[in-house]
Amino acid sequence: MADTMTPTPGSGEQPEEPTNRPPALHRLRDWLQRRYVRHVLIITVVIGFILLPLCWLIVAAMNQTGAPASVVMEDIEQTVFVFTLVSIPITAFVFAVLVYSLFGWKGKSGDTPPNEDNPAIRNNLVAVITWSVVTSALAAFLVVWGLMELASITNNSFGTQPANGQVKQEDVLVVNVTGQQWVWTFEYPQYDKYQSDVLYLAKDRPVLFNVTSKDVVHNFWAVELGVKIDANPGAVTQTGVTPNKEGIFNVRCAELCGLHHAYMETQIRVMEPDTFNSWMRENGGGKTS
Amino acid sequence: MSTATATIYSVDVPQPKQHGKPGGIMRRLNFFTGLAGGVILAAVFGFLMNIQFASGAQTADFASASAGPTFWAIMVGWVLGFMGGMGAFVGPIRWVMGRDLTHADAEFMAGKDQGKFRYWRFTTDHKVVGIQYLIMAMVILGFGGLLAMLIRTELGVTWAEVFNPDFYNSLVGTHGIAMIIAMIIVVSGPVGNFIIPLMCGARDMAFPRLNALSIWLLVCAVPPLILSLLVGGIRDGWSVYQPLNSQAGPGMIGYQTTIIVFAVSTAIASVNIMTTILTMRAKGMTWSRTPISIYGVFAAAAMGLYAFPFYQYSQILSMTDRLINTSFFDPVEGGSVWLYENLFWLLGHPEVYVILIPSTAIILELIPVFMRKPLFSYYMAIAGIVGVVGLSGLVWAHHMYMTGWAPQANYPFMLSTEMISIPVGFLVLVIIGTMWRGTFWSRLPMMAVFAVVFNKMIGGVTGIYLSDVPADQYFHGSMFVTAHFHYMLMGVALFGAMGGVAYYFPKWTGRYLDERMGSIGFWLAFIGFQITFGSMFVAGLQGQPRRVLQFDNLFNISNWISTIGAYTIGIAMLIFLGAIISSWRHGEMAPSNPWQAQTLDWQTATPVPLDNFPVLPVVKGLPYDYGVPDPLAPEKVEARLREEYEKAGTP
Repeated sequence: MADTMTPTPGSGEQPEEPTNRPPALHRLRDWLQRRYVRHVLIITVVIGFILLPLCWLIVAAMNQTGAPASVVMEDIEQTVFVFTLVSIPITAFVFAVLVYSLFGWKGKSGDTPPNEDNPAIRNNLVAVITWSVVTSALAAFLVVWGLMELASITNNSFGTQPANGQVKQEDVLVVNVTGQQWVWTFEYPQYDKYQSDVLYLAKDRPVLFNVTSKDVVHNFWAVELGVKIDANPGAVTQTGVTPNKEGIFNVRCAELCGLHHAYMETQIRVMEPDTFNSWMRENGGGKTS
Repeated sequence: MSTATATIYSVDVPQPKQHGKPGGIMRRLNFFTGLAGGVILAAVFGFLMNIQFASGAQTADFASASAGPTFWAIMVGWVLGFMGGMGAFVGPIRWVMGRDLTHADAEFMAGKDQGKFRYWRFTTDHKVVGIQYLIMAMVILGFGGLLAMLIRTELGVTWAEVFNPDFYNSLVGTHGIAMIIAMIIVVSGPVGNFIIPLMCGARDMAFPRLNALSIWLLVCAVPPLILSLLVGGIRDGWSVYQPLNSQAGPGMIGYQTTIIVFAVSTAIASVNIMTTILTMRAKGMTWSRTPISIYGVFAAAAMGLYAFPFYQYSQILSMTDRLINTSFFDPVEGGSVWLYENLFWLLGHPEVYVILIPSTAIILELIPVFMRKPLFSYYMAIAGIVGVVGLSGLVWAHHMYMTGWAPQANYPFMLSTEMISIPVGFLVLVIIGTMWRGTFWSRLPMMAVFAVVFNKMIGGVTGIYLSDVPADQYFHGSMFVTAHFHYMLMGVALFGAMGGVAYYFPKWTGRYLDERMGSIGFWLAFIGFQITFGSMFVAGLQGQPRRVLQFDNLFNISNWISTIGAYTIGIAMLIFLGAIISSWRHGEMAPSNPWQAQTLDWQTATPVPLDNFPVLPVVKGLPYDYGVPDPLAPEKVEARLREEYEKAGTP
């Protein structure tokens, strides 16, 4: 093994002895001892910690008007939180490379390239494989997480109900939501088809929305409840939710629907079940079915 | 030119006879005759149609829906008249008459010895077409940018309505479609037409006359869009969902005309670019020696060819719904709104990659030049582009998670959409791998790399939220979406294109882009961009829907900040534009290969001669052969470690 400077495969006649190959950990340790590697990793950690509060800030911004008011919305916020958390390491690493390129490896201006002596790194199998495996694993995690959350939300929002609108559970409140330019109408078939332009809901009582439209495509968005579904003309779409918080929340139209799209919003009032029932009786809802 | 035959392999090939001066009637036709022809024929057609259906225009109420047929006739008249006046039909007519182009005719068509006026003609030279695309892209960007400023003004003035809601909705829709068109052409046009044939080592595009046709169809497509603002506008966002679409005034016909013509233009340009790349690469330029931006532009052309027919088809069906009472999309008559949404988004998602991939490819092309390092993992870059192209056609319904079209389909579409982050991640690795351990040459094009990677990470991560159905249940249709796609389309594609402009400026014009003024504009735009869309993310998180002109007080602060940022972008873009114009007129002269790059486009003279290369080049390797042998290469490290290991292990 005299010729250590050119150990390219095929150059030596004698096969290398397997015990002579330095273990991968030694190479990793050697790599970690390089100055720029340490700096990039330190910057990655620093940027990661700078970005970390975003996980809570994003959720805080979503909570400004009283969310989460349902399990569905909690699931949504949890998803956003986890996605932010998972994205931070890789974002921080890329940003760290940018920062170190700007201030560590640095640049020079001039009319001719001042950096002809840069190392010609054409490929690095270890880096490529590591990156592919890590990003694929993260993507796989996100996909699996998303699928599970989606299944949970679907379960919590009647997404698996048959299309004829028959509800299995007894106490489910059915609300027929109709969008038209530019108002929402809520009809309660279980309460003598009482109609309202404010959405009244009972706390902890599951509600099924049959959403449709009279004219163009609207989007029924109960913001703090985490409910969103298109109101299509000529079709009924279904979704549902169980509000678990009393209060006044917002319904907005999230699909451009013409002139007064911006003003197509109304309120949700979530009340105690008893208050809800008596309110319905007082306002012409009549008997509960 | 009097010889009747030319000798090729001792076979007499009959040559077409020269009739009159070279060029024939094309000598008289130019942009201005096209304009006149378009206006005259539009007036004639409109007049004739108005006799037939005397309801709309007669009452001078163009905004009334009954003016539809008249407005449609005007549009048809404009397209036929403009293209006829440009001379687009001269070629086919000559062909029918049996008068093929002679060599002199072809040279005239390529704009030989016509000075600057060749830019106003139906010129077939790919360099002229490339510059025309660049100018058109800048014009449309300017128009769309102006609309963006008006939109932000309305949203910044939270205490009053500046515009009436109808006009505001028109602003939003027109801004959207204008910017989409501009962004599709801003890289694929000037780079795809000017640079790609040079990079391939070809003398021109594969179909020079189709090349001229594609740019002039694009020019033809823009006035209907602008005109539509005057007759009811595009009030339904750029996606013009049905059946809202059918409520709009005849301005919608302007939109439909624009899309139908633009789709033809895109198809022609795509076929042309793809054929050029497939068949006209220089000798020795195998697929493993092809520069990465050729891959990028090829990918964009391929995706465009796949995507745009859906769009054109959807708009033709919308047009017949409107004009002759078909009911493809009218649910009352048995049509389906989901059919429109599917057709539209079958375009919609490949289309964003039509915008993103060429820009990214330009960034990949210029990084090795300014890092003086080989492109890191060239095959991974190809894998990234191919992966994005492959997945781009399978993800369209993620725009329809919340439409109720097919809730069960949300699962597979979520899977395919999130998988896109893997090939996009490959491209990021190629970029940071090329930056790894190298000092950079600090010029404006290299600065764009930093901006683009930064924006790409933010746009990419927020894209992961939106690709996820549960999170999208909150974000769909909110300002968060708007901020996300601006990060991708503007933050990545437009800033990448600005870097590309700075990079190719010396080849296009023979002069350097003014580094100082350009940098000021670029970085000011970058800062303004972060302010605008960063705070737009906040508004989206708080729950502000898209495309609204009034909103809860809750959203006021983020909208004020956003508007300030938008004005910053406006000023910065004017500075950058000023840098382009002043540099173009009297910038510092650049040598033919100012960046000392190795790709073929820089190996020819500047200004590029009519036939590009005196002798066609032969390619011997990948054009990223920069830098010195790496002292820390893995095999060397391994050898050193082995030595240490042996020393430690054996006495």
